[in-house]
Amino acid sequence: MRIEYFQLIDRIVDLNLAGSTIECEATVPTTSTIFEGHFPGYPLMPGVLLIETMAQTSGWLVVAANRFERMPFLAAVKEAKLRTFITPGQVLAVNADLNYEGSGYAITEARIAVNGKTVCDASLTFRVVAFPNAEMSSQMRERAAEIGFPLETPADG
Amino acid sequence: MAPLIAFPVKSAPPLNLGRRFAIRAADRLAVEGWPRGSIVRGLAHGLVGCQNAITIRELPMSSTFDTIANIISETCDIPRETIKPESHAINDLGIDSLDFLDIAFAIDKAFGIKLPLEQWTQEVNDGKATTDQYFVLKNLSTRIDELVAAKGA
Repeated sequence: MRIEYFQLIDRIVDLNLAGSTIECEATVPTTSTIFEGHFPGYPLMPGVLLIETMAQTSGWLVVAANRFERMPFLAAVKEAKLRTFITPGQVLAVNADLNYEGSGYAITEARIAVNGKTVCDASLTFRVVAFPNAEMSSQMRERAAEIGFPLETPADG
Repeated sequence: MAPLIAFPVKSAPPLNLGRRFAIRAADRLAVEGWPRGSIVRGLAHGLVGCQNAITIRELPMSSTFDTIANIISETCDIPRETIKPESHAINDLGIDSLDFLDIAFAIDKAFGIKLPLEQWTQEVNDGKATTDQYFVLKNLSTRIDELVAAKGA
């Protein structure tokens, strides 16, 4: 994770388009300026960033389902539960299932687990639109390659 | 304990009256230490469910509209009495596409169908259909009835 750059996913572990599921991995950094304020003397991964982590994981799944032709933007967060504190250095397993895709929207159920135990979960809705510009599309592809997105399969399969 | 809410099946209270019953009932249960908010919600939902079931049985001609009007009222917090068969969900009721998504899922669940939102959106975008055909509630009711009939066919 590079929290300050909103790069919250380190690696795509598994992307199953047929099953509409994805699993990503992310390690909370041991140091970050974020922790200076959240909280002084007691560093915790902010809950909003855990939600963003689930959103980014879901996002890669939606991008794959749309074969890199459309981009999901977070539109609604429902039933978000932050079940325990997440601290620097912890390894997060982030999973998402795509439950609906169509009419310009996508809905996922996402969760994060640490050592097999669910630490947070939410239902997320995305507005899915054409990439606003070529630069964004290109940057997303670059980032996808960095985190092990299986570009060949979703783009051509 | 005596029944908290009792009304004959054929004279089910209207929706907002049902809420008032729920609130009064919750007041009594709260005395016994139950969480008041969840009781109101639970009872209100139960009453809406009962009312829908009763409406569907008693008034088959108007049941589809009543059910979607109740769903819209609940989902978007729009007073039930302002929702008419002639209302356009977007232009008259101010429902946006994000809220309509929730309404569509609630409709899917209530009627055991799947609204073809993708197809409708495409038809409107392509100029092959007007939003009136899908978003004026009496027309939406007709579309739902068609989907229910197709499912049973």
